[in-house]
Amino acid sequence: MHIPDGYLSPATCATFYGASVPVWLTAGRRVKKVVRNRYVPLVAIGAAYSFLVMMFNVPIPDGTTAHAVGGVLIAVLLGPWAAVIAVSIALLIQALFFGDGGVLAYGANCFNMAIVMPVVGYAVYRAVSRHVSLTSTRRAVAAGLGGYIGLNIAALCAAVEFGLQPTLFKAADGTPLYAPFHLSQTIPTMALAHLTVAGGVEFMLTAGVIAYLQRANLPIMRINHGAVAETDAELELTRKPGWRWAVVGLGTMIVLTPLGLIAPGGAFGEAAPADLNLHKYGLSAVPSGLRHYAGFWHNAFFSGYDFSNDKHPVVGYLLSAGVGILTIGVAILAIFAAVRVLRSRGPRRPDLVEVPS
Amino acid sequence: MTSTATPAWLLDSEVGLCPCGCIGTRKKANFVDKTIAGSASLLRRAMFADDTSAQPGLLQRVDPRIKVLSLVGLLVVTSLVHHIPVLLAMYLATLPLAVASRLSLRFFVKRVWLFIPIFTGVIVLPAMFSFITHGHIVVPLGHWFGHRVGLTSQGLRSAGLIVIRVATSISLVVLLTLTTPWVELLAALRALRVPRMFVLVTGMAYRYLFHLLDSVTDMYTARKSRMVGRETDVVAGRAFVGASAGAMFGKAHALSEEVYSAMIARGYNGNARTMNRFRLGVQDLVWVTACLAAAVVVLGWDHAIGR
Repeated sequence: MHIPDGYLSPATCATFYGASVPVWLTAGRRVKKVVRNRYVPLVAIGAAYSFLVMMFNVPIPDGTTAHAVGGVLIAVLLGPWAAVIAVSIALLIQALFFGDGGVLAYGANCFNMAIVMPVVGYAVYRAVSRHVSLTSTRRAVAAGLGGYIGLNIAALCAAVEFGLQPTLFKAADGTPLYAPFHLSQTIPTMALAHLTVAGGVEFMLTAGVIAYLQRANLPIMRINHGAVAETDAELELTRKPGWRWAVVGLGTMIVLTPLGLIAPGGAFGEAAPADLNLHKYGLSAVPSGLRHYAGFWHNAFFSGYDFSNDKHPVVGYLLSAGVGILTIGVAILAIFAAVRVLRSRGPRRPDLVEVPS
Repeated sequence: MTSTATPAWLLDSEVGLCPCGCIGTRKKANFVDKTIAGSASLLRRAMFADDTSAQPGLLQRVDPRIKVLSLVGLLVVTSLVHHIPVLLAMYLATLPLAVASRLSLRFFVKRVWLFIPIFTGVIVLPAMFSFITHGHIVVPLGHWFGHRVGLTSQGLRSAGLIVIRVATSISLVVLLTLTTPWVELLAALRALRVPRMFVLVTGMAYRYLFHLLDSVTDMYTARKSRMVGRETDVVAGRAFVGASAGAMFGKAHALSEEVYSAMIARGYNGNARTMNRFRLGVQDLVWVTACLAAAVVVLGWDHAIGR
């Protein structure tokens, strides 16, 4: 994804330098505030590490290898602001010294891989690993997922940068002056490559490193996870019931219930035998098995989500919805109550008892 | 800065193996070999750049600040040019510069063209066709659902433009980096008002990059020395990569703590100082004038051909 010089117009390059400079300045200020004088060696070695991560060849199933970018990994380990600076410096060394990525395109490369990727990936990581202990498997998976999504969003940015070139910059006879492919070609191409192989490699490396550090070097995870509980048991003591999101999700679905009234057509495979379009399926009569079993149960309270033989379809629909929600809610509460009773009878887990509060 | 000449065997890409594969059988390299080879090639390139920047060549004599400014200026000029002949002339002009700076022409051309411009050429291949770049068909290739298809003049010109422009840009950057020692390049960035902290961090990152690279090479060489036959277990391989990258981070962090203690012990108080001992000479004035003249000629010529 390192864009060389020559693919992007000078105006595009200038725009991305302009977009990146304020982020660099903010990142510098934020990191300095947190680690003070330690800033220089920590970020310098973070940058060297970031450079080296791009050199690790990860084996992929077809017998070849690929390498990851590691932007989200650095963000998870050192925090997103430190990652912005560290990856930017790694890209600078690559561009100036090893000709990997252009000098004019450096702003755009930094925007994609050093700003968008760590920031987006870290946001995903934080969202997925909320209320999860430091040693939990879910944290490693969250980091991998952050890497996967961060890389794909970065690739999308690069695809948009390429794809805008032929639209914005062309000669009088229509010759594209810079990258020649349109958005409709760049986005699918980049998406195909990054949603499959490159994204998978990023996931594996990011999750693999975090999983290793969880096993082998937990103190180092503390650099960016100061107060996170170490084990699930510790976390259990501070945990509040996670009802909020369930309630929000279910509430949204309840509010959206009337959508069923305005949706056209019927649900596939749920039509009554009488309503079947037999001709469409090449049949001359309703199959005997279907006819027999379709009328197997006659005792539904709200047959066809209605109780008034279609006199008040709207009221019938909403009332059936209300009764349905209530029934399911009561059933779930009953199950929870039963589980709680059964748990309190069983032996208590010793690790839960011995942790001092 | 004096630099010892790098031994020739270190600059060979694959010791004892003919590049065409006529000696011995070449196996598909696995991830261990590739990582070791990658580390070695990084070191090789760094040492080679050290050697070339110490040669008494033309560009080596130019003040690094002037060199950075002029080459970035020429990069901008390259990206503003819209015609293939003009770009081609710019590219050809970099060749005598390379020779005058004591770079072997064969090496310079190889270094520039392998890999990125050739890769670019493959990528833009489809853009020559009328499916992608509409325009006047100059090489008809028949009909497709009633439409004429073929290579368009616009597509061919666009592909040519991008390949030559990429090659010229890389040539300019290679000229800069192979004729300027890394330390001077950083000092030049500092002299050009890049924030001091940023320059300091970049310099340290570069220094410790090679230190950490040693650890990577050690880990992978140890792994290779324990391997018998071919590595086929992809899952175990991936676990090893994750673990080695994780162990690397542990080492990097320990190193940063040690470096910090060493900095404190030497009186570091959060302020960085850089030495600025550059002085402009006649050769710098000549070089700047030449670059400005080249820029004016190139842009004027490009404008004269038409937009």
